[in-house]
Amino acid sequence: MLRNVILLLVLAAAALCCSPHAAAQETPYFVAYSHHLEEPGNLEVEVYSIYGTQKAGGDFIAPWMELEYGVTAWWTTEFYIDSQTTFGDSTVFTGTRWENRFRPLMHEHWINPVLYVEFENTTDADKTLKEVVGVDNQFDAAEPNSEANRSHTHEIETKLILSSDYKGWNFSENFIGEKNLGHEPWEFGYALGVDRPLRLAATPQPCNFCRENFILGAEMYGGLGTASAFSLSGTSHYVAPLVAWQLPNGVTLSVSPGFGLNDNSHRFLLRWGMSYEIGGFGRKLRSLF
Amino acid sequence: MGRLLISALLLLGLVAATAGAARDWRTDDRGVLIVIAKAPVKTRSWKNPYEGQSDAILAGAKLFRQHCAECHGDDARGLGRAANLRSSFVQNATPGELAWFLRNGNLPAGMPPWAGIPEQRRWQIITYVKSLGTPTP
Repeated sequence: MLRNVILLLVLAAAALCCSPHAAAQETPYFVAYSHHLEEPGNLEVEVYSIYGTQKAGGDFIAPWMELEYGVTAWWTTEFYIDSQTTFGDSTVFTGTRWENRFRPLMHEHWINPVLYVEFENTTDADKTLKEVVGVDNQFDAAEPNSEANRSHTHEIETKLILSSDYKGWNFSENFIGEKNLGHEPWEFGYALGVDRPLRLAATPQPCNFCRENFILGAEMYGGLGTASAFSLSGTSHYVAPLVAWQLPNGVTLSVSPGFGLNDNSHRFLLRWGMSYEIGGFGRKLRSLF
Repeated sequence: MGRLLISALLLLGLVAATAGAARDWRTDDRGVLIVIAKAPVKTRSWKNPYEGQSDAILAGAKLFRQHCAECHGDDARGLGRAANLRSSFVQNATPGELAWFLRNGNLPAGMPPWAGIPEQRRWQIITYVKSLGTPTP
């Protein structure tokens, strides 16, 4: 078993080293989505983490991994593996998610819609906070891992993503509807994002540490109640500036401190991560068979 | 639950297969690839702010390697379904038509829209592409 895992890791590393890189045009949001999808045939391997402070419990770090693949120019699919460590408690695997994003319109417009569907197979111990919906609040995460990880949830999450580009800026608005398949009501949430590269035109020389490779932005997200109580009462909200460094070799590093806006929110969140884009992954995979 | 997932997968596969079949390599009466020629007429008068500038050609070459070479090849002659950018049907297009096409892409044929990179960089890429060949009459 161990030998198989090592072999798999060596093969994956070799594939990464030998594969051509590609620079993505996706916006570096952690929570919000823009209408820019993965380029067809490219695979993006992403590793992210979130640190969160916790009232009435231990602080936590929740790492997750994303494998994002551009199936076509208008369809991106993504697979997630989630986990978390709660200080003074334990480290647990918290589940998987599978998302799909579709562009229904074939041309660019002032506002570009994207339809998002995700199936989640996670436990209540999941603390990745990839979305905040309903009356999610920080006290949900205070439950000990031994108990929270016993409760499995199967959820369908849908989003209407609206996104615009204007003079180098991206503005994204996401409306979230999430349904626990265990007969619980729909929960709603939102995520907003804005970002812009520090320099719009590229310089003639190849460079790593130059303004054109840095993107600054901010996100805001929170819950909007449930189908039976659509209101802000009891919901949590966050605002989070972000910075991303897109290296020409296909690596993107990003970090985002987040701040809770009310007593229901975690007081402080810190997200960070790295992604690597493998160009032409699908074509190379097909050539093996 | 399992049946629902299998149905969803089948539906996604069907939609993808249908979309992948759409291709259009015909050219219009100016020799411009028809998907580029679909650009609104007003785009033909759009001026490239970097036209002929050597710095823009260098910057465009750098961006081309980062974003375009994977499909169009390092020499821009095209790989697989991706068009040869040195060909007359690309070189005969106006910079404005290319700018429109680069921004919108051709989703059914697999060309993604590149609206996610700033307009200035798209013009730099066009400056580079235009520097690769001389338009045929």
